[in-house]
Amino acid sequence: MSGWWFVGSLGEALFFASFFLVGVMCFTTLVAWQFVSPTTGVRIGYGFWLLTTVTASFIVMGAVGFWYRVLKVATSDEHREVIAKHGLVSRPNKPHNRNLLPPMVPLLTPFTDSPGAKLAFRLPGEWPGTGALISIGLFAMAWNAMMVVFSVFAVGGFLEGKVQIRLLMLLIPGIYVGLRAGQLFFRSYVQEIGIGSTTVEIEDLPLVPGKTYKLLLVQYGRLIIKKLSIRLVCEEESTYHFGTDVRTECEIVRSQNILDQGRSRIDWGRPLELECQVTLPLDAMHSFQSLHNAIHWKIIVEGEANRWPSYSRSFPVVVYPHARSNPVSQPL
Amino acid sequence: MIRLLGLQPTYMSRDTLEFEYRVSNIQQNSISAVEVSVVWLTEGKGTEDLGVHFFQRLTGNSLAASDWSIPQQVHVPLPDSPLSYEGRLLKISWCVRVRFYLNDGTELVAQQPFYLGTITREV
Repeated sequence: MSGWWFVGSLGEALFFASFFLVGVMCFTTLVAWQFVSPTTGVRIGYGFWLLTTVTASFIVMGAVGFWYRVLKVATSDEHREVIAKHGLVSRPNKPHNRNLLPPMVPLLTPFTDSPGAKLAFRLPGEWPGTGALISIGLFAMAWNAMMVVFSVFAVGGFLEGKVQIRLLMLLIPGIYVGLRAGQLFFRSYVQEIGIGSTTVEIEDLPLVPGKTYKLLLVQYGRLIIKKLSIRLVCEEESTYHFGTDVRTECEIVRSQNILDQGRSRIDWGRPLELECQVTLPLDAMHSFQSLHNAIHWKIIVEGEANRWPSYSRSFPVVVYPHARSNPVSQPL
Repeated sequence: MIRLLGLQPTYMSRDTLEFEYRVSNIQQNSISAVEVSVVWLTEGKGTEDLGVHFFQRLTGNSLAASDWSIPQQVHVPLPDSPLSYEGRLLKISWCVRVRFYLNDGTELVAQQPFYLGTITREV
């Protein structure tokens, strides 16, 4: 907000108040027309319900916006945070329950719901390329479908003896883009499935600074691995507004090598299994997740294989604060 | 004025934070509300986040019952997390914050930082 913040806030509050009043007025008029004098009102049908929804949304948006602006001016940041968490009715400060999960640390449930074959938990994987692969696939599908429709029109016109030059001018580059998108998708897809899946199992969760844990890496596929490495990394993530954009920045602030494996051959039915140990540094920061900031811990597997591009797969883990060495009441 | 009653401004998780606060040169009947809070906040590249661990608002009878000529003591058990942290993109800091709201609309704010845990160096 630029300018004098008080005038800005007052202006916003007045805007939302008028929005609310307009919504109430329209809603009341609409309902009154319908039920008090049904002959002159809008007949019940899609039109009536559409208008009711629009006017009701005016009322909700106006009320929420107005009270949000008023609270922003009338209360402190801390008071607003407490209201958001506990509601307007204040409650006495309860003594801290020792058995609760540590605050602002991600929940453990998504990490512990898959048991491992040899160790306690199989870690969920984050595939950085999956999003891009799905996006390219969706784009290729939609684009090629559109080109097929245009082609049908063009062929139909041609059979009727009319050559639509403009449509042809559009189709030629369009089909080229569609073919390239399809080629890119299938190349990425073959790379994904060709290397084979990677699984990581861990002895225990959550991780606690200063402790050592057994780790098992299983690499499937049919390929010759030139180099394979496992790292434990700590990554900071910050989300911020830049103009009208919302940007997220990540930075690895700590990296610890766990294992380096040289040349190995992997075949179908004979996956590469590597056992190793990981010790968390005593001064490691715990995992943290707030609205705009986060600290993530991940196990990253990086590999280079013959005739395939190098790949990287990451497996998030949760690190608890040092004091919480005994997670007593983890809801599973 | 806020004064931490511990010997050092560093506390471990589950310790009890003891502090006292007072206001001077202000007439008792000119205070309309007092807010005492123990909060953590993030600073750095990302949008700031704020978490309230302890919050107390004194108004009306509870405010009148307090004798502001002597320091008011507060005891707050600290949580396990988030620990104080200084990273590259973000910093997590803890503080005690006291706000005095006066009848003429003036707001007086004082805050006293402290550390939770010992991970306060840059990694």
